Amino acid sequence: MKKVKINTVINNRTYEFSVAPNQTLLRFLREELGLTGTKCGCEIGECGACTVLLDGEAVNSCLVLVPQIDGKEVLTVEGLAKDSKLHPLQESFMDHDAVHCGFCTPGMLMSAKALLDKNPDPDEKEIRTAISGNLCRCTGYVQIVEAINDASEKIKE
Amino acid sequence: MKPFEYKAVHSVEEAVSVLAEYGSDARILAGGTDLLIELRKQNVKTPKVVIDISFIKELRSIESPNGTIVLRPLVTHSEIVTSKVIQQYASLLMSAASVIGSPQIRNKGTVGGNIMNAATCADTVPPLIALGAKITLRSKANSRQIDLSDLFVKPYQTKAQAEELLTEINFLKLSPNAKSSFIKLGRRNALAISRLSVAAILTQDKNGKITDARIVPGAALPVWRRVTEAEKLLIGEKPSKELFVTAGQKVSEVMISHTGRRWSTEYKEPVIAVLVRRALEACL
Repeated sequence: MKKVKINTVINNRTYEFSVAPNQTLLRFLREELGLTGTKCGCEIGECGACTVLLDGEAVNSCLVLVPQIDGKEVLTVEGLAKDSKLHPLQESFMDHDAVHCGFCTPGMLMSAKALLDKNPDPDEKEIRTAISGNLCRCTGYVQIVEAINDASEKIKE
Repeated sequence: MKPFEYKAVHSVEEAVSVLAEYGSDARILAGGTDLLIELRKQNVKTPKVVIDISFIKELRSIESPNGTIVLRPLVTHSEIVTSKVIQQYASLLMSAASVIGSPQIRNKGTVGGNIMNAATCADTVPPLIALGAKITLRSKANSRQIDLSDLFVKPYQTKAQAEELLTEINFLKLSPNAKSSFIKLGRRNALAISRLSVAAILTQDKNGKITDARIVPGAALPVWRRVTEAEKLLIGEKPSKELFVTAGQKVSEVMISHTGRRWSTEYKEPVIAVLVRRALEACL
């Protein structure tokens, strides 16, 4: 099995890797780069815990083969904070107690970021649709929806 | 994941020549939402080569020349949902794409993959067959166009040869007096796999009489097809609840004549009839 050369940008840093192709982006992030903020849940694209942004769009990193990020930009939960300041979504999740066990949180944050980047003023239905691919088994959805709504207000200010 | 060789191709020419070389030893990677799950299964034969077509730009566009719509296979479900042309001239396809999986799946999953994977629950297929879609399959030596409804052999099996690549899906725009709908029944709202679905198109004349009807159930028959037996009952009639109930019962009868009575029939028999009625009512 030949390794594959890729050029990519992960959390705003440029990389050149030589990768084994038979691995998912999820495993690569966690096991090769140590970016364990992205969680490994079902690994069949059902739970959304592994959600990252690929060229700005929310995707399940368990359903992306590593060589497919060649020439593309990846953003994980570790890339949300800037200059040691948390992203407004992260602040808002804490303010609203939108984190219960925390396992779904990184995926929720990334789906929420994808939504707000495209639609800075979403209504409740749009928020619920945006996180419909993210399961929270503590079922703390109400606080999560409120947190996203509140963050959208804060970002607009 | 077991080892395999990976080849990224950047044009249709390159793709078909690599396919000609590897044939059935290769699997095509597009959106990856089905293939990656398969590659990770322990007891499945791993392909020697994975051919990644996701970088081919010419296979990712929606065009509308001369009253037709040309969909390229790498168009994602999200792109179908946001396409103005699809919204206006094939809204049932938009409805179907909007309920596939989750936002993450819709951002990656492609219409070509949905077709070629040929799962009975593929949601874009019933609308495309109702629209009378034709597809183009290209190999290094040949290019052929067939009706989408002629592609399927049985669940997860198509008549496409191993060295053929799906390069185009095309269909006529719906006329302004045609109305369409797609109804999906899943076990939950998001990330649901269709238990049953119905794609319907109705065209009425000035006096309200039905001049054209198309009904394609999903996850109901071994291979998709228009249920002309039920469509015939509608032509020349004016819409009414009784008429739509009769059409629904006919679809139910046809389904059982194909599948026989099995464990799920007790449920599917009345439910498909109701879904057909609702889909037709949604076309008014």
